[in-house]
Amino acid sequence: MKARKRSKLNSIPRGFVALCVLPALAGVLLFLIYPTVNAIMMSFTNASSLAAGSWDFVGLDNYIRMFTNDPQFITALQNTVQLLAVVPVVTIFLALVFAYGLTQAKLKEKGVYRVLFFIPNIISLVVVAVVFSALLHPRSTGPINMLIGIIDLDAVPWLGDPTWAIWAITIVMVWQAVGYYMVLHIAAIDGISKDIFEAADIDGASAPAKFFRITVPMLLDNIGITYVLALAGTMSISFILGRIMTNFGPGTATLVLPGHMFNMAFTAASFGYAMAIMAFTLLMALVFAFISRKLTARRASMFGD
Amino acid sequence: MKKNAPLKKAKIFDPYHARTFTIRWCVRILLLLFTLITLYPLFWNIMSSFKTTEEILISLTALPQGLAWDNYVRAFVAANMGEYLFNSIFVVTLSLTLLLILTVPCAYALARYRFFGSRVIELLFATCLFIQTVYIFIPLYNLMHRLNMLDNLWALSLVYAAISVPFAAFLLAGYMRGLSPSFEEAAKIDGCGNWRTLLKIVVPMSKPGIITIAMLNGIGFWNEYILALVTLRSPANHTLPIGVANLFEVQRRATDFGALYAALMIVLIPTLIIYFIGQRHLTKGIALGGVKE
Repeated sequence: MKARKRSKLNSIPRGFVALCVLPALAGVLLFLIYPTVNAIMMSFTNASSLAAGSWDFVGLDNYIRMFTNDPQFITALQNTVQLLAVVPVVTIFLALVFAYGLTQAKLKEKGVYRVLFFIPNIISLVVVAVVFSALLHPRSTGPINMLIGIIDLDAVPWLGDPTWAIWAITIVMVWQAVGYYMVLHIAAIDGISKDIFEAADIDGASAPAKFFRITVPMLLDNIGITYVLALAGTMSISFILGRIMTNFGPGTATLVLPGHMFNMAFTAASFGYAMAIMAFTLLMALVFAFISRKLTARRASMFGD
Repeated sequence: MKKNAPLKKAKIFDPYHARTFTIRWCVRILLLLFTLITLYPLFWNIMSSFKTTEEILISLTALPQGLAWDNYVRAFVAANMGEYLFNSIFVVTLSLTLLLILTVPCAYALARYRFFGSRVIELLFATCLFIQTVYIFIPLYNLMHRLNMLDNLWALSLVYAAISVPFAAFLLAGYMRGLSPSFEEAAKIDGCGNWRTLLKIVVPMSKPGIITIAMLNGIGFWNEYILALVTLRSPANHTLPIGVANLFEVQRRATDFGALYAALMIVLIPTLIIYFIGQRHLTKGIALGGVKE
Protein backbone atom coordinates (compact mmCIF):
# COMPACT_ATOMS: atom_id res chain seq x y z
CA MET A 1 0.00 0.00 0.00
CA LYS A 2 2.69 2.40 1.06
CA ALA A 3 4.88 1.50 -1.90
CA ARG A 4 2.00 2.19 -4.27
CA LYS A 5 1.45 5.63 -2.83
CA ARG A 6 5.08 6.54 -3.21
CA SER A 7 5.23 5.36 -6.76
CA LYS A 8 2.12 7.42 -7.50
CA LEU A 9 3.85 10.53 -6.19
CA ASN A 10 7.25 10.13 -7.77
CA SER A 11 6.58 8.61 -11.13
CA ILE A 12 5.24 10.71 -13.95
CA PRO A 13 1.52 10.20 -14.62
CA ARG A 14 2.03 9.64 -18.34
CA GLY A 15 -1.59 9.69 -19.43
CA PHE A 16 -2.31 12.87 -17.50
CA VAL A 17 0.76 14.70 -18.79
CA ALA A 18 0.02 13.64 -22.36
CA LEU A 19 -3.57 14.89 -22.12
CA CYS A 20 -2.32 18.16 -20.65
CA VAL A 21 0.31 18.83 -23.27
CA LEU A 22 -0.86 17.28 -26.52
CA PRO A 23 -3.85 19.53 -27.40
CA ALA A 24 -1.77 22.68 -26.91
CA LEU A 25 1.15 21.16 -28.78
CA ALA A 26 -1.11 20.10 -31.65
CA GLY A 27 -2.54 23.62 -31.92
CA VAL A 28 0.92 25.19 -31.98
CA LEU A 29 2.25 22.71 -34.54
CA LEU A 30 -0.76 23.14 -36.82
CA PHE A 31 -1.27 26.90 -36.67
CA LEU A 32 2.25 28.23 -36.03
CA ILE A 33 4.92 25.74 -37.06
CA TYR A 34 3.21 24.26 -40.10
CA PRO A 35 2.38 27.62 -41.75
CA THR A 36 5.95 28.81 -41.21
CA VAL A 37 7.55 25.68 -42.65
CA ASN A 38 5.00 25.51 -45.43
CA ALA A 39 5.63 29.15 -46.36
CA ILE A 40 9.38 28.63 -46.55
CA MET A 41 8.83 25.67 -48.88
CA MET A 42 6.32 27.56 -51.02
CA SER A 43 8.79 30.44 -51.34
CA PHE A 44 10.75 28.26 -53.80
CA THR A 45 7.72 27.74 -56.03
CA ASN A 46 5.78 29.74 -58.58
CA ALA A 47 2.42 29.06 -56.89
CA SER A 48 0.02 31.71 -58.10
CA SER A 49 -3.32 31.21 -56.43
CA LEU A 50 -3.87 30.95 -52.70
CA ALA A 51 -5.78 27.74 -53.11
CA ALA A 52 -3.03 25.17 -53.48
CA GLY A 53 -3.24 24.64 -57.21
CA SER A 54 -0.52 23.46 -59.52
CA TRP A 55 2.94 24.89 -59.06
CA ASP A 56 6.55 24.14 -59.88
CA PHE A 57 9.73 24.54 -57.94
CA VAL A 58 11.63 27.51 -59.29
CA GLY A 59 14.62 27.46 -56.97
CA LEU A 60 15.78 30.89 -55.87
CA ASP A 61 13.90 32.76 -58.62
CA ASN A 62 11.56 34.53 -56.18
CA TYR A 63 14.48 35.73 -54.09
CA ILE A 64 16.34 36.92 -57.17
CA ARG A 65 13.22 38.73 -58.39
CA MET A 66 13.00 40.66 -55.11
CA PHE A 67 16.34 42.32 -55.58
CA THR A 68 16.57 42.58 -59.35
CA ASN A 69 13.08 43.06 -60.68
CA ASP A 70 10.85 44.60 -58.04
CA PRO A 71 11.43 48.27 -57.17
CA GLN A 72 8.42 48.18 -54.83
CA PHE A 73 10.14 45.52 -52.75
CA ILE A 74 13.24 47.70 -52.45
CA THR A 75 11.09 50.63 -51.32
CA ALA A 76 9.29 48.41 -48.80
CA LEU A 77 12.63 47.08 -47.55
CA GLN A 78 14.05 50.60 -47.14
CA ASN A 79 10.95 51.79 -45.28
CA THR A 80 10.95 48.74 -43.01
CA VAL A 81 14.65 49.02 -42.19
CA GLN A 82 14.21 52.73 -41.51
CA LEU A 83 11.33 52.02 -39.14
CA LEU A 84 13.20 49.16 -37.44
CA ALA A 85 16.18 51.46 -36.90
CA VAL A 86 14.35 54.61 -35.86
CA VAL A 87 11.21 53.53 -34.00
CA PRO A 88 12.63 51.08 -31.44
CA VAL A 89 15.68 53.25 -30.77
CA VAL A 90 13.68 56.45 -30.19
CA THR A 91 10.98 54.57 -28.28
CA ILE A 92 13.36 52.71 -26.01
CA PHE A 93 15.43 55.86 -25.39
CA LEU A 94 12.36 57.91 -24.41
CA ALA A 95 10.99 55.02 -22.35
CA LEU A 96 14.31 54.76 -20.49
CA VAL A 97 14.44 58.50 -19.81
CA PHE A 98 10.89 58.51 -18.42
CA ALA A 99 11.40 55.31 -16.46
CA TYR A 100 14.62 56.73 -15.04
CA GLY A 101 13.00 60.06 -14.13
CA LEU A 102 10.06 58.29 -12.57
CA THR A 103 12.13 55.94 -10.43
CA GLN A 104 14.86 58.43 -9.47
CA ALA A 105 12.71 61.45 -8.59
CA LYS A 106 10.77 59.22 -6.17
CA LEU A 107 7.54 60.93 -7.08
CA LYS A 108 4.52 60.05 -4.98
CA GLU A 109 2.34 59.85 -8.08
CA LYS A 110 4.66 57.37 -9.83
CA GLY A 111 1.94 54.73 -10.07
CA VAL A 112 -0.48 57.15 -11.75
CA TYR A 113 1.96 57.97 -14.54
CA ARG A 114 2.65 54.32 -15.08
CA VAL A 115 -1.05 53.59 -15.49
CA LEU A 116 -1.63 56.55 -17.81
CA PHE A 117 1.43 56.07 -20.05
CA PHE A 118 0.40 52.51 -20.73
CA ILE A 119 -3.00 53.47 -22.17
CA PRO A 120 -1.90 53.92 -25.84
CA ASN A 121 -0.76 50.32 -25.81
CA ILE A 122 -4.20 48.87 -25.01
CA ILE A 123 -6.01 51.02 -27.58
CA SER A 124 -6.93 49.23 -30.80
CA LEU A 125 -4.46 50.18 -33.53
CA VAL A 126 -7.38 50.76 -35.86
CA VAL A 127 -8.65 53.44 -33.47
CA VAL A 128 -5.15 54.90 -33.22
CA ALA A 129 -4.90 55.02 -37.02
CA VAL A 130 -8.27 56.73 -37.48
CA VAL A 131 -7.74 59.28 -34.69
CA PHE A 132 -4.25 60.20 -35.87
CA SER A 133 -5.47 60.52 -39.45
CA ALA A 134 -7.57 63.41 -38.16
CA LEU A 135 -4.93 64.80 -35.76
CA LEU A 136 -2.42 64.85 -38.63
CA HIS A 137 -4.81 66.83 -40.82
CA PRO A 138 -2.64 68.49 -43.49
CA ARG A 139 -4.06 72.02 -43.22
CA SER A 140 -2.92 74.50 -40.58
CA THR A 141 -6.18 73.81 -38.70
CA GLY A 142 -5.10 70.22 -38.03
CA PRO A 143 -4.43 69.70 -34.29
CA ILE A 144 -0.81 68.63 -34.70
CA ASN A 145 -0.11 71.40 -37.20
CA MET A 146 -1.64 73.89 -34.74
CA LEU A 147 0.80 72.62 -32.12
CA ILE A 148 3.67 73.10 -34.57
CA GLY A 149 2.26 76.56 -35.38
CA ILE A 150 2.85 77.61 -31.76
CA ILE A 151 6.60 77.40 -32.33
CA ASP A 152 6.09 79.23 -35.62
CA LEU A 153 6.71 76.41 -38.08
CA ASP A 154 4.77 75.98 -41.30
CA ALA A 155 2.01 73.41 -41.53
CA VAL A 156 3.31 69.99 -42.56
CA PRO A 157 1.32 68.02 -45.15
CA TRP A 158 1.97 64.77 -43.20
CA LEU A 159 0.08 61.81 -44.68
CA GLY A 160 -0.53 63.41 -48.06
CA ASP A 161 3.12 63.94 -48.80
CA PRO A 162 5.55 61.22 -49.97
CA THR A 163 8.45 62.39 -47.80
CA TRP A 164 6.47 63.26 -44.65
CA ALA A 165 4.09 60.28 -44.58
CA ILE A 166 6.63 57.78 -43.26
CA TRP A 167 7.61 60.25 -40.51
CA ALA A 168 3.97 60.74 -39.60
CA ILE A 169 3.69 56.99 -39.13
CA THR A 170 6.96 56.97 -37.17
CA ILE A 171 5.56 59.55 -34.74
CA VAL A 172 2.38 57.54 -34.19
CA MET A 173 4.39 54.36 -33.61
CA VAL A 174 6.60 56.03 -31.02
CA TRP A 175 3.56 57.55 -29.30
CA GLN A 176 1.95 54.14 -29.18
CA ALA A 177 4.88 52.18 -27.78
CA VAL A 178 6.71 54.40 -25.28
CA GLY A 179 4.47 53.53 -22.33
CA TYR A 180 4.83 49.80 -22.87
CA TYR A 181 8.62 49.93 -22.84
CA MET A 182 8.57 52.32 -19.92
CA VAL A 183 6.72 49.75 -17.82
CA LEU A 184 9.29 47.13 -18.84
CA HIS A 185 12.20 49.38 -17.87
CA ILE A 186 10.71 50.56 -14.58
CA ALA A 187 10.66 46.96 -13.41
CA ALA A 188 14.29 46.58 -14.47
CA ILE A 189 15.48 49.86 -12.92
CA ASP A 190 13.78 48.94 -9.66
CA GLY A 191 15.93 45.83 -9.81
CA ILE A 192 19.18 47.86 -9.78
CA SER A 193 20.56 48.18 -6.27
CA LYS A 194 19.72 51.54 -4.64
CA ASP A 195 23.24 51.61 -3.22
CA ILE A 196 24.75 52.26 -6.63
CA PHE A 197 22.64 55.38 -7.20
CA GLU A 198 23.17 56.63 -3.66
CA ALA A 199 26.90 56.16 -3.94
CA ALA A 200 26.86 58.09 -7.21
CA ASP A 201 24.82 60.87 -5.58
CA ILE A 202 27.36 61.28 -2.82
CA ASP A 203 30.17 61.32 -5.35
CA GLY A 204 28.31 64.24 -6.94
CA ALA A 205 27.30 62.52 -10.17
CA SER A 206 24.86 64.53 -12.27
CA ALA A 207 21.52 63.08 -13.37
CA PRO A 208 22.62 62.60 -17.02
CA ALA A 209 25.86 61.00 -15.81
CA LYS A 210 23.91 58.56 -13.67
CA PHE A 211 21.61 57.86 -16.59
CA PHE A 212 24.37 57.13 -19.11
CA ARG A 213 26.93 55.60 -16.72
CA ILE A 214 24.69 53.52 -14.47
CA THR A 215 21.16 53.03 -15.80
CA VAL A 216 21.96 52.38 -19.45
CA PRO A 217 24.91 49.99 -18.88
CA MET A 218 23.09 48.11 -16.13
CA LEU A 219 20.03 47.68 -18.33
CA LEU A 220 21.84 46.86 -21.58
CA ASP A 221 20.81 43.25 -21.45
CA ASN A 222 17.24 44.31 -20.82
CA ILE A 223 17.37 46.87 -23.61
CA GLY A 224 18.48 44.11 -25.97
CA ILE A 225 15.48 41.99 -25.03
CA THR A 226 13.05 44.88 -25.45
CA TYR A 227 14.54 45.61 -28.88
CA VAL A 228 13.81 42.02 -29.92
CA LEU A 229 10.24 42.45 -28.67
CA ALA A 230 9.99 45.77 -30.50
CA LEU A 231 10.95 44.16 -33.83
CA ALA A 232 7.77 42.12 -34.26
CA GLY A 233 5.72 44.98 -32.84
CA THR A 234 7.17 47.43 -35.34
CA MET A 235 6.40 45.07 -38.22
CA SER A 236 2.74 44.58 -37.37
CA ILE A 237 2.03 48.15 -36.26
CA SER A 238 3.58 49.62 -39.40
CA PHE A 239 1.41 47.27 -41.46
CA ILE A 240 -1.83 48.20 -39.69
CA LEU A 241 -1.16 51.95 -39.59
CA GLY A 242 0.08 51.97 -43.18
CA ARG A 243 -2.92 50.08 -44.46
CA ILE A 244 -5.51 52.23 -42.69
CA MET A 245 -3.91 55.66 -42.69
CA THR A 246 -2.31 55.84 -46.13
CA ASN A 247 -3.05 52.53 -47.87
CA PHE A 248 0.77 52.29 -48.05
CA GLY A 249 0.91 55.50 -50.09
CA PRO A 250 1.10 58.15 -51.35
CA GLY A 251 2.44 56.00 -54.16
CA THR A 252 4.56 53.53 -52.23
CA ALA A 253 5.84 56.04 -49.67
CA THR A 254 4.70 54.06 -46.62
CA LEU A 255 4.86 50.57 -48.10
CA VAL A 256 6.40 48.12 -45.62
CA LEU A 257 7.39 44.48 -46.15
CA PRO A 258 4.23 42.93 -44.62
CA GLY A 259 2.18 45.33 -46.77
CA HIS A 260 4.00 44.33 -49.94
CA MET A 261 3.56 40.67 -48.98
CA PHE A 262 -0.17 41.32 -48.48
CA ASN A 263 -0.49 43.03 -51.87
CA MET A 264 1.47 40.31 -53.67
CA ALA A 265 -0.69 37.54 -52.17
CA PHE A 266 -4.15 39.10 -52.29
CA THR A 267 -4.00 41.56 -55.17
CA ALA A 268 -1.31 40.23 -57.50
CA ALA A 269 -2.02 36.55 -56.62
CA SER A 270 1.71 35.76 -56.58
CA PHE A 271 1.56 33.40 -53.67
CA GLY A 272 5.01 31.86 -54.01
CA TYR A 273 6.56 35.31 -54.31
CA ALA A 274 4.65 36.60 -51.27
CA MET A 275 6.00 33.63 -49.31
CA ALA A 276 9.54 34.47 -50.37
CA ILE A 277 9.04 38.01 -49.06
CA MET A 278 7.70 36.53 -45.82
CA ALA A 279 10.67 34.22 -45.43
CA PHE A 280 13.03 37.10 -46.14
CA THR A 281 11.24 39.34 -43.61
CA LEU A 282 11.37 36.69 -40.92
CA LEU A 283 15.05 36.04 -41.61
CA MET A 284 15.80 39.75 -41.51
CA ALA A 285 14.01 40.13 -38.17
CA LEU A 286 16.01 37.18 -36.83
CA VAL A 287 19.28 38.76 -37.96
CA PHE A 288 18.33 42.08 -36.33
CA ALA A 289 17.41 40.24 -33.14
CA PHE A 290 20.64 38.27 -33.19
CA ILE A 291 22.80 41.35 -33.73
CA SER A 292 21.07 43.29 -30.97
CA ARG A 293 21.45 40.40 -28.53
CA LYS A 294 25.12 39.98 -29.44
CA LEU A 295 25.85 43.68 -28.95
CA THR A 296 23.99 44.13 -25.69
CA ALA A 297 24.87 40.81 -24.09
CA ARG A 298 28.61 41.33 -24.62
CA ARG A 299 28.62 44.86 -23.21
CA ALA A 300 26.60 43.72 -20.23
CA SER A 301 29.18 41.07 -19.37
CA MET A 302 32.02 43.57 -19.88
CA PHE A 303 30.35 45.80 -17.33
CA GLY A 304 30.12 42.88 -14.96
CA ASP A 305 33.91 42.33 -14.96
CA MET B 1 31.08 50.11 -6.68
CA LYS B 2 31.84 48.02 -3.60
CA LYS B 3 34.41 50.57 -2.46
CA ASN B 4 31.74 53.25 -2.17
CA ALA B 5 29.15 51.15 -0.43
CA PRO B 6 29.96 52.16 3.18
CA LEU B 7 29.34 55.81 2.27
CA LYS B 8 25.62 55.25 1.75
CA LYS B 9 24.90 55.79 5.43
CA ALA B 10 26.60 59.22 5.39
CA LYS B 11 24.48 62.14 6.58
CA ILE B 12 22.85 63.91 3.69
CA PHE B 13 23.12 67.68 3.88
CA ASP B 14 20.83 70.46 2.66
CA PRO B 15 22.18 71.40 -0.78
CA TYR B 16 21.47 67.85 -1.78
CA HIS B 17 17.84 68.22 -0.75
CA ALA B 18 17.52 71.51 -2.57
CA ARG B 19 18.86 69.89 -5.70
CA THR B 20 16.57 66.87 -5.53
CA PHE B 21 13.63 69.25 -5.03
CA THR B 22 14.45 71.08 -8.27
CA ILE B 23 15.10 67.85 -10.12
CA ARG B 24 11.84 66.43 -8.86
CA TRP B 25 9.88 69.35 -10.26
CA CYS B 26 11.72 69.25 -13.59
CA VAL B 27 10.89 65.58 -13.91
CA ARG B 28 7.32 66.25 -12.88
CA ILE B 29 6.85 68.94 -15.54
CA LEU B 30 8.39 66.71 -18.20
CA LEU B 31 6.11 63.84 -17.20
CA LEU B 32 3.02 66.05 -17.12
CA LEU B 33 3.86 67.25 -20.61
CA PHE B 34 4.20 63.70 -21.80
CA THR B 35 0.96 62.72 -20.06
CA LEU B 36 -0.74 65.47 -22.05
CA ILE B 37 0.72 64.14 -25.30
CA THR B 38 -0.26 60.59 -24.37
CA LEU B 39 -3.83 61.36 -23.42
CA TYR B 40 -4.74 64.09 -25.88
CA PRO B 41 -5.68 61.70 -28.75
CA LEU B 42 -7.96 59.83 -26.37
CA PHE B 43 -9.50 63.07 -25.10
CA TRP B 44 -9.87 64.26 -28.68
CA ASN B 45 -11.70 61.07 -29.61
CA ILE B 46 -14.12 61.34 -26.66
CA MET B 47 -14.71 64.99 -27.49
CA SER B 48 -15.26 64.38 -31.20
CA SER B 49 -17.71 61.56 -30.56
CA PHE B 50 -20.06 64.13 -29.00
CA LYS B 51 -19.75 66.73 -31.75
CA THR B 52 -22.11 66.99 -34.67
CA THR B 53 -20.52 66.45 -38.07
CA GLU B 54 -20.94 70.18 -38.84
CA GLU B 55 -19.00 71.07 -35.69
CA ILE B 56 -16.23 68.65 -36.66
CA LEU B 57 -16.00 70.13 -40.14
CA ILE B 58 -15.78 73.68 -38.75
CA SER B 59 -13.04 72.92 -36.23
CA LEU B 60 -11.15 69.78 -35.29
CA THR B 61 -10.08 71.17 -31.93
CA ALA B 62 -13.10 73.08 -30.59
CA LEU B 63 -15.03 71.61 -27.69
CA PRO B 64 -18.48 70.16 -28.44
CA GLN B 65 -21.43 72.57 -28.17
CA GLY B 66 -23.67 69.90 -26.69
CA LEU B 67 -23.71 66.14 -26.32
CA ALA B 68 -24.69 64.64 -29.66
CA TRP B 69 -25.69 61.21 -28.34
CA ASP B 70 -27.36 60.40 -31.63
CA ASN B 71 -23.82 59.83 -33.02
CA TYR B 72 -23.79 56.68 -30.94
CA VAL B 73 -27.27 55.68 -32.08
CA ARG B 74 -26.25 56.07 -35.74
CA ALA B 75 -23.01 54.16 -35.08
CA PHE B 76 -24.90 51.27 -33.51
CA VAL B 77 -27.77 51.08 -35.97
CA ALA B 78 -26.82 52.64 -39.32
CA ALA B 79 -23.12 51.69 -39.18
CA ASN B 80 -23.82 48.16 -37.83
CA MET B 81 -21.55 48.54 -34.81
CA GLY B 82 -24.09 46.65 -32.69
CA GLU B 83 -23.62 43.57 -34.83
CA TYR B 84 -19.83 43.90 -34.87
CA LEU B 85 -19.83 44.41 -31.11
CA PHE B 86 -21.71 41.13 -30.70
CA ASN B 87 -19.21 39.34 -33.00
CA SER B 88 -16.26 40.75 -31.08
CA ILE B 89 -17.71 39.68 -27.73
CA PHE B 90 -18.33 36.21 -29.18
CA VAL B 91 -14.78 35.87 -30.54
CA VAL B 92 -13.11 37.13 -27.37
CA THR B 93 -15.18 34.87 -25.09
CA LEU B 94 -14.68 31.77 -27.20
CA SER B 95 -11.00 32.28 -27.93
CA LEU B 96 -10.22 33.06 -24.29
CA THR B 97 -12.05 29.94 -23.13
CA LEU B 98 -10.18 27.81 -25.66
CA LEU B 99 -6.87 29.44 -24.78
CA LEU B 100 -7.31 28.70 -21.09
CA ILE B 101 -8.40 25.11 -21.76
CA LEU B 102 -5.28 24.60 -23.88
CA THR B 103 -2.83 26.57 -21.76
CA VAL B 104 -3.58 25.85 -18.11
CA PRO B 105 -3.01 22.06 -18.19
CA CYS B 106 -0.06 22.46 -20.55
CA ALA B 107 1.62 25.08 -18.38
CA TYR B 108 1.02 22.93 -15.31
CA ALA B 109 2.57 19.84 -16.90
CA LEU B 110 5.59 21.85 -18.07
CA ALA B 111 6.01 23.51 -14.69
CA ARG B 112 5.74 20.34 -12.59
CA TYR B 113 7.03 17.42 -14.61
CA ARG B 114 10.21 16.63 -16.49
CA PHE B 115 8.99 14.19 -19.09
CA PHE B 116 10.13 12.86 -22.44
CA GLY B 117 10.13 15.82 -24.81
CA SER B 118 9.43 18.52 -22.23
CA ARG B 119 12.66 20.35 -23.05
CA VAL B 120 11.88 20.17 -26.75
CA ILE B 121 8.40 21.59 -26.17
CA GLU B 122 9.78 24.44 -24.09
CA LEU B 123 12.32 25.24 -26.78
CA LEU B 124 9.62 25.05 -29.44
CA PHE B 125 7.36 27.44 -27.53
CA ALA B 126 10.26 29.83 -26.94
CA THR B 127 10.95 29.85 -30.69
CA CYS B 128 7.27 30.46 -31.38
CA LEU B 129 7.36 33.64 -29.30
CA PHE B 130 9.14 35.12 -32.28
CA ILE B 131 6.64 33.95 -34.92
CA GLN B 132 3.98 36.66 -34.95
CA THR B 133 0.78 36.88 -36.98
CA VAL B 134 2.29 39.64 -39.09
CA TYR B 135 4.81 37.17 -40.54
CA ILE B 136 2.56 34.18 -41.11
CA PHE B 137 -0.87 35.59 -41.97
CA ILE B 138 -0.66 34.52 -45.60
CA PRO B 139 0.28 30.84 -45.06
CA LEU B 140 -2.22 30.82 -42.19
CA TYR B 141 -4.88 32.11 -44.57
CA ASN B 142 -3.91 29.36 -47.00
CA LEU B 143 -4.14 26.68 -44.32
CA MET B 144 -7.51 27.94 -43.10
CA HIS B 145 -8.71 28.01 -46.69
CA ARG B 146 -7.81 24.35 -47.13
CA LEU B 147 -9.43 23.40 -43.81
CA ASN B 148 -12.56 25.30 -44.79
CA MET B 149 -12.10 27.66 -41.86
CA LEU B 150 -12.41 31.02 -43.63
CA ASP B 151 -15.13 33.52 -42.78
CA ASN B 152 -16.05 31.64 -39.65
CA LEU B 153 -15.91 33.14 -36.16
CA TRP B 154 -15.60 29.75 -34.45
CA ALA B 155 -12.59 28.85 -36.56
CA LEU B 156 -11.00 32.27 -36.13
CA SER B 157 -11.35 31.93 -32.34
CA LEU B 158 -9.66 28.54 -32.43
CA VAL B 159 -6.74 29.96 -34.41
CA TYR B 160 -6.46 32.96 -32.05
CA ALA B 161 -6.30 30.56 -29.11
CA ALA B 162 -3.76 28.21 -30.72
CA ILE B 163 -1.33 30.91 -31.83
CA SER B 164 -1.44 32.51 -28.38
CA VAL B 165 -0.52 29.31 -26.53
CA PRO B 166 3.30 29.71 -26.51
CA PHE B 167 3.36 33.12 -24.82
CA ALA B 168 0.54 32.26 -22.40
CA ALA B 169 2.08 28.90 -21.46
CA PHE B 170 5.50 30.51 -21.05
CA LEU B 171 4.09 33.15 -18.68
CA LEU B 172 1.83 30.80 -16.72
CA ALA B 173 4.43 28.03 -16.36
CA GLY B 174 6.80 30.65 -14.97
CA TYR B 175 4.16 31.66 -12.46
CA MET B 176 3.33 28.05 -11.50
CA ARG B 177 6.98 27.20 -10.91
CA GLY B 178 6.98 29.83 -8.19
CA LEU B 179 4.18 28.06 -6.31
CA SER B 180 5.00 25.56 -3.60
CA PRO B 181 4.10 22.00 -4.65
CA SER B 182 3.29 20.96 -1.07
CA PHE B 183 -0.47 21.56 -1.40
CA GLU B 184 -0.65 19.39 -4.50
CA GLU B 185 1.37 16.65 -2.82
CA ALA B 186 -0.90 16.75 0.23
CA ALA B 187 -3.96 16.54 -2.00
CA LYS B 188 -2.53 13.56 -3.86
CA ILE B 189 -1.71 11.75 -0.63
CA ASP B 190 -5.34 12.27 0.35
CA GLY B 191 -6.26 10.44 -2.83
CA CYS B 192 -7.12 13.41 -4.99
CA GLY B 193 -6.69 12.60 -8.70
CA ASN B 194 -4.50 14.57 -11.06
CA TRP B 195 -7.33 16.43 -12.77
CA ARG B 196 -9.06 17.27 -9.49
CA THR B 197 -5.76 18.50 -8.06
CA LEU B 198 -5.27 20.70 -11.11
CA LEU B 199 -8.78 22.14 -10.96
CA LYS B 200 -9.27 22.46 -7.19
CA ILE B 201 -5.74 23.29 -5.99
CA VAL B 202 -3.56 24.56 -8.82
CA VAL B 203 -6.06 26.73 -10.68
CA PRO B 204 -7.16 28.72 -7.59
CA MET B 205 -3.54 29.18 -6.54
CA SER B 206 -2.54 30.37 -10.03
CA LYS B 207 -5.40 32.86 -10.24
CA PRO B 208 -3.19 35.97 -10.52
CA GLY B 209 -1.21 34.40 -13.36
CA ILE B 210 -4.37 33.24 -15.11
CA ILE B 211 -5.97 36.69 -14.79
CA THR B 212 -2.83 38.23 -16.30
CA ILE B 213 -2.83 36.02 -19.38
CA ALA B 214 -6.61 36.37 -19.74
CA MET B 215 -6.34 40.16 -19.71
CA LEU B 216 -3.34 40.39 -22.01
CA ASN B 217 -4.87 38.03 -24.54
CA GLY B 218 -8.44 39.26 -24.12
CA ILE B 219 -7.39 42.79 -25.06
CA GLY B 220 -5.23 41.37 -27.85
CA PHE B 221 -8.13 39.35 -29.32
CA TRP B 222 -10.50 42.30 -29.00
CA ASN B 223 -8.14 44.52 -30.98
CA GLU B 224 -6.84 41.91 -33.45
CA TYR B 225 -6.92 43.26 -36.99
CA ILE B 226 -4.62 41.41 -39.42
CA LEU B 227 -6.05 37.89 -39.26
CA ALA B 228 -9.63 39.14 -39.03
CA LEU B 229 -8.94 41.28 -42.10
CA VAL B 230 -7.76 38.40 -44.26
CA THR B 231 -10.15 35.69 -43.07
CA LEU B 232 -13.53 37.37 -42.43
CA ARG B 233 -15.13 38.05 -45.78
CA SER B 234 -18.86 38.59 -45.19
CA PRO B 235 -19.89 41.76 -43.32
CA ALA B 236 -22.14 39.72 -41.03
CA ASN B 237 -19.00 38.17 -39.55
CA HIS B 238 -16.92 41.32 -39.13
CA THR B 239 -15.45 42.14 -35.75
CA LEU B 240 -15.22 45.70 -34.41
CA PRO B 241 -11.73 46.56 -35.70
CA ILE B 242 -12.68 45.47 -39.23
CA GLY B 243 -16.03 47.24 -39.03
CA VAL B 244 -14.44 50.47 -37.87
CA ALA B 245 -11.66 50.31 -40.47
CA ASN B 246 -14.27 49.84 -43.22
CA LEU B 247 -16.39 52.65 -41.81
CA PHE B 248 -13.34 54.93 -41.93
CA GLU B 249 -12.76 53.91 -45.54
CA VAL B 250 -16.38 54.79 -46.37
CA GLN B 251 -16.25 58.07 -44.43
CA ARG B 252 -13.53 59.38 -46.69
CA ARG B 253 -16.29 59.82 -49.22
CA ALA B 254 -19.43 60.11 -47.10
CA THR B 255 -19.37 62.52 -44.19
CA ASP B 256 -20.84 61.15 -40.97
CA PHE B 257 -17.76 61.88 -38.90
CA GLY B 258 -19.78 62.07 -35.67
CA ALA B 259 -20.88 58.44 -36.03
CA LEU B 260 -17.33 57.39 -37.00
CA TYR B 261 -15.80 58.79 -33.81
CA ALA B 262 -18.64 57.33 -31.75
CA ALA B 263 -17.88 53.95 -33.35
CA LEU B 264 -14.24 54.30 -32.25
CA MET B 265 -15.44 54.85 -28.70
CA ILE B 266 -17.42 51.60 -28.87
CA VAL B 267 -14.15 49.79 -29.62
CA LEU B 268 -12.28 51.68 -26.92
CA ILE B 269 -14.60 51.73 -23.92
CA PRO B 270 -14.53 47.99 -23.08
CA THR B 271 -10.72 47.85 -23.22
CA LEU B 272 -10.42 50.95 -21.03
CA ILE B 273 -12.83 49.50 -18.45
CA ILE B 274 -10.98 46.18 -18.34
CA TYR B 275 -7.66 48.01 -18.14
CA PHE B 276 -8.62 50.21 -15.22
CA ILE B 277 -10.10 47.28 -13.31
CA GLY B 278 -7.11 45.02 -13.82
CA GLN B 279 -4.15 47.20 -14.80
CA ARG B 280 -2.14 45.92 -11.86
CA HIS B 281 -2.28 42.37 -13.26
CA LEU B 282 -1.56 43.58 -16.76
CA THR B 283 1.55 45.65 -16.06
CA LYS B 284 2.87 42.96 -13.73
CA GLY B 285 2.43 40.38 -16.48
CA ILE B 286 4.18 42.62 -19.01
CA ALA B 287 7.12 43.07 -16.68
CA LEU B 288 7.31 39.32 -16.06
CA GLY B 289 7.02 38.34 -19.69
CA GLY B 290 9.43 40.95 -20.91
CA VAL B 291 12.18 40.86 -18.37
CA LYS B 292 12.53 37.17 -17.73
CA GLU B 293 14.03 35.47 -20.71
